[in-house]
Amino acid sequence: MFRLAVRNLTQDKTRLVISVVGTGLALTLVLFFGAVFTGATGRITAYIDCAGADVWVSQAGVRTMHMSTSALPASVTGEVKAVRGVEQAVPILYAEDMIDAGGDQYIAYVFGVPSDAPMGGPWRIVDGTSALGPGDVIVDHAIAAQSGVGVGDRITVLGQEMRIAGLTSGTSSLVSSVTFVRMEDFAQVRGGGDVISFVLVKVAPGESPAAVSSRIAESVDGVTVQTRGQFAAQERKLVGDMSADLINIMNTAGYLTGLAVVVLTVYIATIARRREYGVLKAMGVRNSRLYQIVVVQALLAVAMGFVAGLGITLLLSAVIPRFNELLVLSLSTGAVLRVAVISTLLAGVAALLPARQIAGLEPAAVTRRR
Amino acid sequence: MENVGLQVEGVTKTFGSGDTQVVAVRDVSLRVNPGEVVLIMGPSGSGKTTLLLMLGALLKPTEGRIALDGLELSDMSERRLPDVRLRHFGFIFQDFNLLSALNVLDNVAFAAELTGVGRKSAREQATAVLTELGLGHRLHFLPNKLSGGEKQRVAIARALINNPSLILADEPTANLDSSHGHETMRLLREIAQKRSRSVVIVSHDARIKDIADRVLWLEDGQFKDVVEMATDPVCQMAVERERAITGVRDGETYYFCARGCRDEFLAIQHASG
Amino acid sequence: MNVRRMAGPLRLLAAAARLAVRNLLQDRLRFALSVVGVGLSLMLILFLLGLRAGALRSAVVYLDSTPGSVEVLPAGVKSTAAGSAQFLPPETAGAVASTPGAIRVTPILLTMGFSEMHGTKEVVKLIGYDAASGGGPWDIEQGREPRADDEVVLDRVVAGRHGLGVGDAFEIGGRTLTVVGLSNESSSWTGSYAFARRTFVESLVLAPGAASFLLVTPGPGTTPAALAQRLASIPGTNVLLKSEVMANDQQIVAGIFDQVILLMVAAAFVVGALVVGMVLYTATNERRAEYGILKAIGARSSVLYRVVASQAVVATGVGAVLGVGFAYGMGALVMAARPQFIVIIEPTAVATTLAAGFVMAIAGALIPARTAARLEPAEVFRG
Repeated sequence: MFRLAVRNLTQDKTRLVISVVGTGLALTLVLFFGAVFTGATGRITAYIDCAGADVWVSQAGVRTMHMSTSALPASVTGEVKAVRGVEQAVPILYAEDMIDAGGDQYIAYVFGVPSDAPMGGPWRIVDGTSALGPGDVIVDHAIAAQSGVGVGDRITVLGQEMRIAGLTSGTSSLVSSVTFVRMEDFAQVRGGGDVISFVLVKVAPGESPAAVSSRIAESVDGVTVQTRGQFAAQERKLVGDMSADLINIMNTAGYLTGLAVVVLTVYIATIARRREYGVLKAMGVRNSRLYQIVVVQALLAVAMGFVAGLGITLLLSAVIPRFNELLVLSLSTGAVLRVAVISTLLAGVAALLPARQIAGLEPAAVTRRR
Repeated sequence: MENVGLQVEGVTKTFGSGDTQVVAVRDVSLRVNPGEVVLIMGPSGSGKTTLLLMLGALLKPTEGRIALDGLELSDMSERRLPDVRLRHFGFIFQDFNLLSALNVLDNVAFAAELTGVGRKSAREQATAVLTELGLGHRLHFLPNKLSGGEKQRVAIARALINNPSLILADEPTANLDSSHGHETMRLLREIAQKRSRSVVIVSHDARIKDIADRVLWLEDGQFKDVVEMATDPVCQMAVERERAITGVRDGETYYFCARGCRDEFLAIQHASG
Repeated sequence: MNVRRMAGPLRLLAAAARLAVRNLLQDRLRFALSVVGVGLSLMLILFLLGLRAGALRSAVVYLDSTPGSVEVLPAGVKSTAAGSAQFLPPETAGAVASTPGAIRVTPILLTMGFSEMHGTKEVVKLIGYDAASGGGPWDIEQGREPRADDEVVLDRVVAGRHGLGVGDAFEIGGRTLTVVGLSNESSSWTGSYAFARRTFVESLVLAPGAASFLLVTPGPGTTPAALAQRLASIPGTNVLLKSEVMANDQQIVAGIFDQVILLMVAAAFVVGALVVGMVLYTATNERRAEYGILKAIGARSSVLYRVVASQAVVATGVGAVLGVGFAYGMGALVMAARPQFIVIIEPTAVATTLAAGFVMAIAGALIPARTAARLEPAEVFRG
């Protein structure tokens, strides 16, 4: 029976290729979109993950960075430092702003970092220096490449013209990138004042970030304290919440299209074999067996389409970043599994129609002369 | 354009070359006048199909010439051939091969439309032909609802609609039962005689001899036997001239199946004095 | 040989088309499935374009609905997209107001924030404005504008999603406000607008007297361009026409969207072409004998080309109509289920999609048409 299903499906090579590619592309839509979001989300938490802080102190109620502002009085740094278990406390300024490079605008997370700060600054430099002088800025190299600027060129950040001192990597995504300036420069643009955005905390050896975190929260007023893990999770959840609806919509459209292709393929394959199935019926093969064949056919068709889709998406993940470094694609195992499960369901649905056709076949139809 | 029928002169068809060369048809000559029915018989592999393809202008002979109504087919450019086939030939195939998605009327009309005739006019012509062939009540049926004989009649109607001078039939009775087969043969005879068409039939079916004017036996690419047929005026049976019993009356030779029929025929003449 | 009439070729095309349609419709189910497949592909394309158009609209809905045609931004800022690292110092408003030709100045303090409701983070673009100068909600469905620092107007859709109504409490940035009104047209899938008094937002961002930008309305006899020029001399500012800022805002959204959408549209297009190709391929294969017969009786290759081409056109034509219908339906469905999404299906997009359908037809028909045209009529005689 399995062999029959395989043969039915593969006998017409051209039709098989067409259907596999068609289903594959439809599933690619789903996988691709997911990969774009996973990739972007991964990069969005880049600063939180890599800045070097174990604990983050922000304005009360502020739990995320994306599209947020946090404002604390500068004195909070000292209060935080005084808490037991805090080894280092670095204040930084943060804003989500536009940078203007080569005439193009890019959304950026701009961080104002104190000179000689032990953490909070760039963690992977690929060109230039990580030392920020007055009027210097460090940007992501993909952004620089896309807008045609490099070390030594001038771009506009926070409304000021600044000189690129260095380029980082791993700091950009489709929606934004990380940019570093001197805290002093940032503060000046902000109109002076004794305001900071976050306090980055490194805990003393042997101390647990969670414990230190609670202590800070108890001791200091008007702040929200989170461990790095918590902060990053909140950020990812935010982006996930924001994009959940969009992803669902895109997925639905993609799955529907894929379903149509699979149903069409299996239907055509079944109809082409109508006489054979009729003969089998006349020979006494039961409907249930024939259903099995059709279901196996549908599963095979979808499986092949899935593999094709996976292959295409992996190919795109490898190729696209070469042309567009901002489009980071990341296929998570979870996403792949999810698509696989849903595809299997689709196969089941796709098999329904031909199954009904077979049920309706008269065994005698075969023997009637043309 | 003259209606002089089909002329085949010294036609040879060779496939391949050198050691693998195959001569499918060897130096065949034939003439079919308007009104004549010629039956070509022969074993498989005798070259019947190849000859048929050449007669139908679907294959060019390696040597020799084929002309229909004075048109040199063997010499004609490929571009003109489809049009010639459309307007001068009527094809009837073994498997009926009607367009399954079109009804009887449209199947026949389509052949007319291929010549550029408008739909309305084509349908009128098709209706006329189909009615003549006794299918007037089946015009809107789909092929899968027709009997074998009816389907063949539709195919014949399609073959006739563009007023071809040559009808080419390939095993027209092979898929028919006996009564439908008879009917088809009778039709073909009628078409030849009443409409003055040349009819060439390629078949295994010996019953077709009954309606043929000549029976040609093709073997190894050559005509081995040519049998002239005649009809017994008394009992209407088809007889081979060479073997028949002859009788002359008023200077004309008649052919009979047995003495009995001849005697009866001549006696009547005597009686009327 | 008969002389062919000039109308002949057209009639032939009509005959070929009719045969094509009859052949296609003979297997109703397959026809239905294939047009649905094509329809879905085209729907996807049109829907994606509609999402994009909606996103571009959302990007500028605030500015478009707010008075003023000249915008004064902090130096170096040319869009309102990312929100507010930069502020204009308090004295800027005065300088603008005293510029001849400026009859109305609308200072706006914009900050992005979140409100966690029912475990979901809602992005809120908080507009701080002065009732006297305008810039608040332009379409209040229920309630009124805020008059005190602890009052806020929320977007109706977001409020509805979390069961908030007039009089309920709303938390943002660690502060609690009272909802006094619900507004329309103020939500998109990137977040919704909330409106509060400027003084409240100042306290939130710890920047008293600051403004993110000023919208300026020119008086009669002053063109926006002229006013913009006069304002340009004010230090620390970047003065643009509001329309320019809107264009910049849209460019940022488009920049992100387009990279993803382009690939998806291409994939959808190929899927559609493949569906057409598959159906035509099997349909043509099945009819080898019939087409062979047609050639034998004298139909030219061109007739068969036209039959297959007609099938492609019909299948994609019907598919296109379906696709456009599906797209409108999908858009309506999405907007009903998730009102923060706006799907705008523009006539140019429909035209583009139909053109794509046409190209799909050609692409899908190419190989099957050639196969049909190349059939050897001699195959029909198998001796």
